[in-house]
Amino acid sequence: MRFQVDFVEGSRIALRSLRAHRLRTVLTTLGVGIGVSTLLAILGITQGLDTSFANQLASIGSSSLYVTKMPWVQLGNWWQFRNRKDLDLSHMEAIRAQSTYAVAVCPMIDRAENVSFLGSELQRVQVVGTTPEYLAVSGFEVAQGRFLTEADDGALRNVAVLGMDIVDTLFPHSNPIGVTVRLGNRPFNVIGTLSRKGKILDQSQDLLVVIPFRSAAAQFGRRRGIAIGVAVESPLMMDPAEDQLVGVLRRARGTPPEKPDDFAINRPEQLASTYEQLTGALFGVAVGIGFITLLVGGIGIMNIMLVSVRERTREIGLRRALGARKRTIVVQFVLEAVVVSAVGGLLGTVVGLGGAKLISEITPLAATVRPLTVLFGVSFAAAVGLLFGIWPAARAANLDPVEALRYE
Amino acid sequence: MALIELEAVTRTYQVGTESVRALRGVCLKVSRGEWLAVVGQSGSGKSTLMNVIGCLDTASSGRYRLNGHDVSHLSDDELADIRNREIGFVFQTFQLLPRETALANVELPLVYRGLGARERRERARAALEKVKLADRMAHRPNELSGGQRQRVAIARALVTEPSLLLADEPTGNLDSATGEEIIRLFEELHRMGHTLLLVTHEPRLAARCPRAVRLSDGEIISDGPGREVALQNLRDDPRLAAPEPR
Ligand SMILES: Nc1ncnc2c1ncn2[C@@H]1O[C@H](COP(=O)(O)OP(=O)(O)OP(=O)(O)O)[C@@H](O)[C@H]1O
Ligand SMILES: [Mg+2]
Repeated sequence: MRFQVDFVEGSRIALRSLRAHRLRTVLTTLGVGIGVSTLLAILGITQGLDTSFANQLASIGSSSLYVTKMPWVQLGNWWQFRNRKDLDLSHMEAIRAQSTYAVAVCPMIDRAENVSFLGSELQRVQVVGTTPEYLAVSGFEVAQGRFLTEADDGALRNVAVLGMDIVDTLFPHSNPIGVTVRLGNRPFNVIGTLSRKGKILDQSQDLLVVIPFRSAAAQFGRRRGIAIGVAVESPLMMDPAEDQLVGVLRRARGTPPEKPDDFAINRPEQLASTYEQLTGALFGVAVGIGFITLLVGGIGIMNIMLVSVRERTREIGLRRALGARKRTIVVQFVLEAVVVSAVGGLLGTVVGLGGAKLISEITPLAATVRPLTVLFGVSFAAAVGLLFGIWPAARAANLDPVEALRYE
Repeated sequence: MALIELEAVTRTYQVGTESVRALRGVCLKVSRGEWLAVVGQSGSGKSTLMNVIGCLDTASSGRYRLNGHDVSHLSDDELADIRNREIGFVFQTFQLLPRETALANVELPLVYRGLGARERRERARAALEKVKLADRMAHRPNELSGGQRQRVAIARALVTEPSLLLADEPTGNLDSATGEEIIRLFEELHRMGHTLLLVTHEPRLAARCPRAVRLSDGEIISDGPGREVALQNLRDDPRLAAPEPR
């Protein structure tokens, strides 16, 4: 019976009052709605990023190490890396001879070149000069034709293996094997294609051309030193393999014991941790903004509720005189706040999901939305209403009935 | 047994450091079926007394029994329930909800009693018929005359079949003809056996009540047949004793 009085009657009164002040209701609703939609869009996008990134990471080939002069992820002063000695083939040979974990080792030099065939051209494509073992290090598979051989390298043949993006663009309807393409203005004979790996963080991994190491060195010059790819027998051996590599390289490079390493050993997972740092911070900031928006919405609700309570002071006094208990008054006003914010939450959810969807349509960012997120949005909004409605409602209930009835 | 029994009731307001003694030891007994007028100058404590009797306010000291029950130490919820069941209020300014129809306004106290919609409607309709507003049930307050509004308010006070009807200056916002209409209604309710307490500063009204008490400075200074108390009030009122020249 009390439930009927408190909730049924409370909701009726709340809805009535909301209908009576439509504009005010809409504006208040908007405040919460914007907060919820911001929060949801952000959640949707970061969730989407996470999912697609996890998929992408799996494609890198997770049991390889890459030795470079400068680390992939540079934290701190770039200058400290600049004076390092380049890596060269002798370092690679040292690894090949001494590392017990390495199952494949390859040198790599790369350079951006325009790739053209007949009239079509792809600009600034990564051209990698390397050896046959690159296949094992990179985790690529041969899709068509064959990969580089020792003979290609030894004879400095101008042969090329194409990534799938090149095939898609330059040979949409034909077979590239045996065809001559131009890297810059030099002709290369296509001997094979690489299976598709997909994108990582919106970077395609398939936009590359692989050519023999020595051909590349001859064509591009070898001023810049090399990178060394090392395939480790299993992902579990990455840590000992890395430790061993450090020792091998320090010895090969004659690094004095008191000096830090003058080279970098990179792992694809580093990308993951960088990504996590980056998106973690982004996520934090974005969620923070969402919460602040909600807070503003909540304060809006509180403000409106205080106005509503003041406006209806005499009504409250009257209801109390006619037998409404304090709790009944509290429920009436809290319900009013909760209804406004839940409606706002629902609206915000729709807009937020729509926004996330739109963003995933028009930008490369992927957005996924879990059903739980929707529930979260609406209940979060309702909670905001509850939180910010309680104080005004308590004020209403604690009004002295005599004073309230006399209020002008 | 008396319906209302006040023993040495005081009500003190704290205003800053000063305390205002609005009631100073009021003793009063009212029996069922009585019609009592409360008169006195402005500020003499009439409304305060009315609020204490109506359980809207509580006495600072003394004892108040309603229907034999001491209400001095009841909780807020219990007082709310007593107001709902035992008391019908009629206010000078009607206090109707402007957005609701006459019928919905009259139903309101029944909502807080927890009655179902159908029973509420029937009883509200009956109460409106009692005050002869059966044809105005769907009207909102702004579509009603002052007298009609006050009759809606009286219907709302009657609808719970309270032990006691309290009216604080119910004709204060009405012209004399409409006021008369309301007083007639009270007379009729009195005949029907309702217990009425009417606060008024119009001696003319008090004179028509079977019994009246007169308050001065928070104390009852006379208690007797309405006519006598009203006359006495007239004699003592300085404004009436020496009317200002127009
Ligand atoms: N909330 C309050 N705080 C402080 N003093 C109050 C309060 N309410 C009433 N008083 C004081 O108590 C005294 C009695 O007030 P009350 O309203 O009962 O007078 P009244 O007889 O109803 O007057 P009127 O005929 O003008 O309505 C007055 O002196 C008033 O100033
Ligand atoms: Mg008064």
